[in-house]
Amino acid sequence: MGMMNFAHGEFIMLAAYALYVFAGLPFPAAVASALLTGIAIALFAERVAFRPVRSADLSTQLVTSLAVAAILQNVVTVAVDARAQSVATPASLSESTSIGGISVPNLEFVTLGLTAIVLAGLGWLLYRTRTGLAMRAAAENFDMARLLGVRADRVIAISFAISGALAAAVGVLIVMQTGQVTPTMGLTPVLIGFVAVVIGGFGRMFGAVIGGLLLGVLSSLLGAYLPDGLVPFRDAIVFTFPVLILIFRPHGLLGGEIGKARV
Amino acid sequence: MNGARFRPRSSVAISLLVPLVLIAIVTLVGASGTPSFQGTVTLILCNLIVVLGLQVFVGNSGVYSFGQLGFATAGAYIAALLTLPPAFALLQTPGLPHFIADAQLGPLPATLIAAAIAGLLAVVVGLPLMRTSTLAIPISTFAFLVVVYNVAANWDRVTGGSSGLVSIPTTTSVESAGLWAAAAAVLVIAFKWSASGYRLQATREDEVAARSIGIGVMRERLIAFGISGVLCGIGGALAVHQSGVLNPTTFYFGATVTTMTMLVVGGARSVLGAVVGAIAIATVNEMLRGLENGADLFGAISVGAAPGLAAIGLGLILLATMIAMPHGLSGGREAGELPWIRRLGLTATVPPPRTSGVATGRSTADPVGKGTLRAEGISLSFSGLRVLRGVDLELAPGEALGLIGPNGAGKTTLVNVLSGFQAPDSGVVALDGVDVTGRTPTRLARDGLGRTFQASLPFPHLTVLESVAVGAMGIGVGRRRAAAVAADVLSRLNLLEQAALPAGSLTPAGQRLLGVARALATHPRYLLLDEPAAGLNEVECGELVEILRDVIKDFGCGILLIEHEMSIVMELCPRIQVLDDGMTLCEGTPEEVQADSAVVEAYLGSAFLAAADA
Repeated sequence: MGMMNFAHGEFIMLAAYALYVFAGLPFPAAVASALLTGIAIALFAERVAFRPVRSADLSTQLVTSLAVAAILQNVVTVAVDARAQSVATPASLSESTSIGGISVPNLEFVTLGLTAIVLAGLGWLLYRTRTGLAMRAAAENFDMARLLGVRADRVIAISFAISGALAAAVGVLIVMQTGQVTPTMGLTPVLIGFVAVVIGGFGRMFGAVIGGLLLGVLSSLLGAYLPDGLVPFRDAIVFTFPVLILIFRPHGLLGGEIGKARV
Repeated sequence: MNGARFRPRSSVAISLLVPLVLIAIVTLVGASGTPSFQGTVTLILCNLIVVLGLQVFVGNSGVYSFGQLGFATAGAYIAALLTLPPAFALLQTPGLPHFIADAQLGPLPATLIAAAIAGLLAVVVGLPLMRTSTLAIPISTFAFLVVVYNVAANWDRVTGGSSGLVSIPTTTSVESAGLWAAAAAVLVIAFKWSASGYRLQATREDEVAARSIGIGVMRERLIAFGISGVLCGIGGALAVHQSGVLNPTTFYFGATVTTMTMLVVGGARSVLGAVVGAIAIATVNEMLRGLENGADLFGAISVGAAPGLAAIGLGLILLATMIAMPHGLSGGREAGELPWIRRLGLTATVPPPRTSGVATGRSTADPVGKGTLRAEGISLSFSGLRVLRGVDLELAPGEALGLIGPNGAGKTTLVNVLSGFQAPDSGVVALDGVDVTGRTPTRLARDGLGRTFQASLPFPHLTVLESVAVGAMGIGVGRRRAAAVAADVLSRLNLLEQAALPAGSLTPAGQRLLGVARALATHPRYLLLDEPAAGLNEVECGELVEILRDVIKDFGCGILLIEHEMSIVMELCPRIQVLDDGMTLCEGTPEEVQADSAVVEAYLGSAFLAAADA
């Protein structure tokens, strides 16, 4: 949408809290409720906060999303607690399967499979369907798309719903990994996402994938090979890395067009 | 001194006075309260300094940074470590070098050193970050904030880790914080109205237009980023000497949201907005915190303790501001610019500046060169579409060359190549015999190449006078002389009456003329005009021809005129070059071009014949 959303981290966080609230339900039902929560919150935020500033400049939209993030985060703090709450995870996910002598946690398979499905699905939706075409058109030029008969309000709502669903999936995965929820848990994933987009170049899905992979690989390598004394500074090093890339490629690795000045 | 001023003295005085009076009131109210109230007010004033630091960068550049609190963190830790009594320092930070641990500076030197290091850090961090785009800066600065937090929280032996530092001397009084805040406000206003401040504001208004008048976007952003770092460092250093404790979250995400809310609610573009926003939001915040701790509302309704409530309140205020009032309480205006202050008659109406015939931005001794602007064999394709195919062009100072051709012929693209906005695939652009292919628009503007845009690209929130003066500032002229240059240019273009109006309030025709004026203020030797007459009526077209004739005569510059209004081209240009499908179709006098059957066939047709007959 040519828009950065700070509140995406809070969509993740709220979906994770749904898992915590509905912990009593059977696991699939709890996951479904998390998914619905993510979608509902994203749609609600779009309607109440983002639609009114849609025609404003990108900075206004960015600050608006910051406001939404702050509100959602603190609503959870007030309603639940600022401290972490633990969430039970299904035993099957915490077990490991051994492949060729290497033991791999089952959760990793789920994560990997889900990522592949999401990427393929998103690529298909954006580049192979009418709705996707309408979304890309609305992102490119909202008013023009509207004049051409694209039901832009609906298209944007749909893209928010999708981002809410994706956020929910991330939220569930994080809870499965860490077994707990906190009001600030969305901050790191959203920042990683932002930085991945900056590294990759705006407006290119493939760029974001490359950027994300680079960050992930770098983080793992640092975790494995960093001298003990420097391990706590892993995040600092990971987030300094994009700066090095930007020195040489100010518009990201793939150099997306959005953000470049047009004459 | 010349009579051209950007604003009347009374307006400047009020713009300075109002923030200072507000700061003085807060300081005095604070000083008269209990010690704990004094502490609260002192922290509010420290926050105000940080918000002023934010304003310098965000307000003038229009680019959001979420990393400025990282400089407050840096300033706070440095000031704390420099002032910790050696005994405490040894206990809390065993890894600190001895000369720092043993040092126990007074509050003033510690604050100054903290400010200097924070500013230096801002320049070092800003060097790579300011190269990136307007969209990437918010993210990369946010990443910087996380890096600072991560270091502060984990460098246990120096920063005390996540538990932080205690027993820091509490030396900041309400009065000293008030004085620092007042000094910061004056500095920030002075910067806003300095040549550098104006150049930065021009990049906020329109980055492309700013580059076309010689403004280095990255350089101007970096200067403000550095000043912002200094101010945030001061705010952090003073705050830590009030509270006496410091940990990595003191100036982290929460404080970033709070200070950003203060700036945006007040109105980021103005210093008044920063001051008003900081004071108003701090007041609301304190009230909400009262609620958080549980309080009896109006003696009747009892509210339980609920931490987080204040943050929700601030978030809602920020959201409501963005939706309903994106320019904030101040509307982005300084006190002297507020409409009701004007109506009260407190500021003089701005007199149209007098001119004294300071014709140029460059020194008048600078002779109008003998050289030429030459393009040879320029070719350019956009993803397979060949827009320019080996175009040659030559323009001499003092000459008017018409560039015509049907839509899509490549005229604007050629101007983009000449002015550096677009690199050609092949071919050479030479300025007075020097190969300048690949030079940036900023550099070319300083080399004497001015241009206008089809879309005008005005600086809507600057006044007409400022918009033109910033052109002279772009090539390095000081602000006073730039005002004189601008007044002179405006008088030649009959725009002087509108000098004090916001550029955004002019008619489309006026904005086109303003674009010409802005380019002229850079004293170009070659001026590339992209459809200056679009949207002008017949009378205005006639005036434009006269104006451009005078420009050629008085400034001695060569004009390349792209125009669809044939009467103007025929009247002004002794030589015309016709472009079609990326190639030069023919070149010659108006008569020759009119007689060329290929031209008539390819493009001019009946519309032109009618104009020629008239």
